[in-house]
Amino acid sequence: MARGWVDAIVAAGAVPVSYVPEASIGRQADAAEATVAELVEDAELRTHRVDAAAPAPAAVSFLDGIQQWRVVGQSGVVPLVRAYVAAAVRRRGGDRRLRTVAERSLEFAITHVEALAAPVRRALEDSGVTVVNLAATDLGQPSRTLRAAHVQVDRAREQLERQLGERCVTDLRDGEWLIVDGLLSESELLARHPRTLGVIKSHGAQFFSGADLERALTVPAGHRTSVFAPQSHAHQPIYSWYLRLWPWEGNDLLYGLLRIEARAHRETVAAAAGASGWLVQERAPVSTPDERWDRLLYAIHDVETYLRARAPRDFLSPTASRLPRAAS
Amino acid sequence: MIQRQTPESIGRVVATELKPATPHQFHFWTANETTIGIGAIVKVEGPGAGDQGSGRVVFGVVTDGFAYSDLATPLHDVVGAEGDPAKAAERPTVRQEIRLWTAAVLRQEPEEPLQPVPLGAVYLASDADVAQALRMDAYLTGAQPTGIPVGLYTAAGHEAPVYLDADFLLGPEAAHLNISGVSGLATKTSAVEFLLASIFQHFPAHKGRIAALCFNVKGPDLCFLDRPGALDDADRRRYERLGITPQPFERVRYYAPCKADGVNLNTLRTHPDLVGDVEPLVWGLEEVLDFAEVLLNRDDIDAKADAFIDFLSDRVLNKEFDDGFGGSHRVQTFADLDGLFRAIFDGLELTGRSDMWRTHHIATIRKVRNRLSNISTRCKGLVTDDGPSNDLPWGRFEDRTVYVVDVANVDALGQDLVFARAVSKLREHLERRDLGVEAVVVFVDELNKYAPGDGPETYVRKMLLDISERGRYLGLVLFAAEQFRSQVHRRVVGNAGTTLFGRMDADELATPGYQVLSPATKIKLATLPIGELMVRHPHFTQPIFLRFPRPAVLRGRDGVERFPPATDLPFEDAVVRQLVRLDRRIRPNQVKDLIAERRPDDVRRALAAVRRTRPEDALAYFRRILGARVAPVTAPAREAVPPLNPISEEPY
Ligand SMILES: Nc1ncnc2c1ncn2[C@@H]1O[C@H](COP(=O)(O)OP(=O)(O)O)[C@@H](O)[C@H]1O
Ligand SMILES: [Mg+2]
Repeated sequence: MARGWVDAIVAAGAVPVSYVPEASIGRQADAAEATVAELVEDAELRTHRVDAAAPAPAAVSFLDGIQQWRVVGQSGVVPLVRAYVAAAVRRRGGDRRLRTVAERSLEFAITHVEALAAPVRRALEDSGVTVVNLAATDLGQPSRTLRAAHVQVDRAREQLERQLGERCVTDLRDGEWLIVDGLLSESELLARHPRTLGVIKSHGAQFFSGADLERALTVPAGHRTSVFAPQSHAHQPIYSWYLRLWPWEGNDLLYGLLRIEARAHRETVAAAAGASGWLVQERAPVSTPDERWDRLLYAIHDVETYLRARAPRDFLSPTASRLPRAAS
Repeated sequence: MIQRQTPESIGRVVATELKPATPHQFHFWTANETTIGIGAIVKVEGPGAGDQGSGRVVFGVVTDGFAYSDLATPLHDVVGAEGDPAKAAERPTVRQEIRLWTAAVLRQEPEEPLQPVPLGAVYLASDADVAQALRMDAYLTGAQPTGIPVGLYTAAGHEAPVYLDADFLLGPEAAHLNISGVSGLATKTSAVEFLLASIFQHFPAHKGRIAALCFNVKGPDLCFLDRPGALDDADRRRYERLGITPQPFERVRYYAPCKADGVNLNTLRTHPDLVGDVEPLVWGLEEVLDFAEVLLNRDDIDAKADAFIDFLSDRVLNKEFDDGFGGSHRVQTFADLDGLFRAIFDGLELTGRSDMWRTHHIATIRKVRNRLSNISTRCKGLVTDDGPSNDLPWGRFEDRTVYVVDVANVDALGQDLVFARAVSKLREHLERRDLGVEAVVVFVDELNKYAPGDGPETYVRKMLLDISERGRYLGLVLFAAEQFRSQVHRRVVGNAGTTLFGRMDADELATPGYQVLSPATKIKLATLPIGELMVRHPHFTQPIFLRFPRPAVLRGRDGVERFPPATDLPFEDAVVRQLVRLDRRIRPNQVKDLIAERRPDDVRRALAAVRRTRPEDALAYFRRILGARVAPVTAPAREAVPPLNPISEEPY
């Protein structure tokens, strides 16, 4: 029955895809936030074939970070969260192997200190661990408190990444590039650097509508869109474009789709053509078994693997069974 | 100032549930570019105090290696390259890879309690580490060290000398050496030559005197042990590192049977400059009858024939013997014996009494006569059917001397006879402690021919089995070589305390005897470069790879080029040469005049007499013997050769 109409729409010109949205299996999908963008290349949004033979820079550094956290104690309704964030830059030189050039990590506690039982509070303060204090308004149901804790962990990681990225970019030699996993527009220094790119895998932000949106989200494999300038007051000004690594047909619209951020500068329009060329080559080796391998660059995946390997082991899984302990 | 550098670790032990560290095996990873390889010896140091396994030191030898990347399935590589192998080479990042190694434990410190290898840092072994890992410290130090250098352990740009324990190589704790590998690549003969030189220079004084008896069974292999061979700088450096002086053997005695003419020597060492020190090996009836069993075992000779041979040995040989038909015989030679046989057959025929002579059936007598005359024709030159013998210097063996018996051109039956007699004589004298030396290494090449795993039970195989099982107590040590170990009698190779392997044949490695070796070790054996060997020795808990220098002696092949064998001399010239060798003053024409018109048999007999007597004036003596009919020599009292231990009924 179902086959019948699916075949019919495909016969009528719909592109067959196959995608189970996260929302359909119960998780919350990113809500699309609408942002205005101005084209800085072409009169209307177009797609350009990239030069897949473009030579890669002699050296490229890759920046990524990880975060791990878990609730390790409870003082009444106040949770005590143990958090770990780390970031690293791994540089790829002429031998095509990645080596760590910078690395930082941080372990800290998150709680609302004032609400802790006095002995717990004293013990925490005496331990010397860095504590990030939640606002009194963040306390309540665990879901609320933990969401607030999550925000703190995210923030700590982003800060670490930014620090490391800024340090790295000042050391960057001529002709060397830095690729950052995520937004470039969080750091002024990075957002102004001529050879730093942000690679964004999630596409919650919506910059276009109508025909432009369609062209942007159906950009074919090995193509990029025109360069545009998102208009946001919250972020540093940057230029951006979409780049498709793998054909989306048969999968889903966002499959293999990256959004690249670069500095807001005339020269970026020209640089986009060259950079897109060698970025497309970064799709191999593939970063399987990571589920996001269609848009996760192997080198970024490598930095993440590196960081995970060095993270404290006791964050990984509960140390004991969660079954009620038998009386003894 | 001397700065002791703390060595850098080259790897790290890792253990997972699937690949745990055990007391006998562990795994470690290294950088992708590493000098580690199969056979490398490493040291693991347990982590710092307080941690699991702290203070524990483990030595191991690398037995396997693995490389893999973070690629989940080969399909993903195809996907990434879009099906184009050329593209796969172009990708901008090289995947993470690992070099993971498996090592077998050689030794743990402390030895008790025996525990899994700690998950510590891995270092390359130093000289001292190698000595400790192989438990050589036990016999290299102390009041009476017993180390015999066997080669250099070579790995990761590092060399360390490796020693065998003389007590386990040459008795009494264990003994014997077996070496196998493909011809021409395994360097079997070379390794034995090298090791003999090492033994002669390092055999510990407190163990006394030692000699070697080598059977040359192939071409010119062992014919030039006293001549220097070509060595390169690397060889010389290795000799120096091993503490061995690279020089040919100082004392070598060559023995070779004669050719059928009874005067030319049956060996490739016949170049005029060298032939002078080759002794003819000539045996008479007495020497042959002692080992007639060798000849009979080969065929289906029965107990009756054995009894008749015993009768001949005990009652007839060298005694005044009455044939029962009125004739009296004193049998010393094949010719004499044949005279007796003829008298018996004639007597039986004339009297027509019966088919029996002294409880022996005429058919048995004919059979024995055939066998004996068979050997004297097939091994003419080794066996004289008339005249005295010339044998190895039993009882007068000299220290650090190699006795080479060249049987390369003797037929199989003759070779068996030579082995059987020579080895039995060694055994007999060693048992009585009157050989002249305390220990003898007997080198037999092509062991698979003489002690095959299958085929009929032969006297020679029984004898080799006997040495391999009991020789270590006597100082009778067997060094044997063969291409295929699997084709040699299991217990003969099994009793070898020390085993060497050169380049091996892949089919051979597939036989059950090699199951204990890891696949990587097998590959290494199958591709082993010339000059490298794998050694097993009782003190080493795992096989170790070694490199040894070329022997400092002239290779057989080069020897025959440098010293081309002389063409056979005419009878008179050969006689001249043998006499001149005994007495330099003799002039050829004097001899030629003397022997003109003489029967060759008489000349040979006279020559043999000179050889045996070694008179002051050889020519005068020769003339005297030749002049008269040679009088029967009174035979020396016979020494009974004790029978081999009764081993023939042991099951196989
Ligand atoms: N240690 C060594 N280093 C280099 N070459 C060697 C070494 N030992 C032997 N050889 C060469 O290897 C070849 C084979 O040696 P050989 O002893 O005759 O082998 P096999 O007895 O196994 O047939 C010879 O040409 C010899 O010169
Ligand atoms: Mg050989």
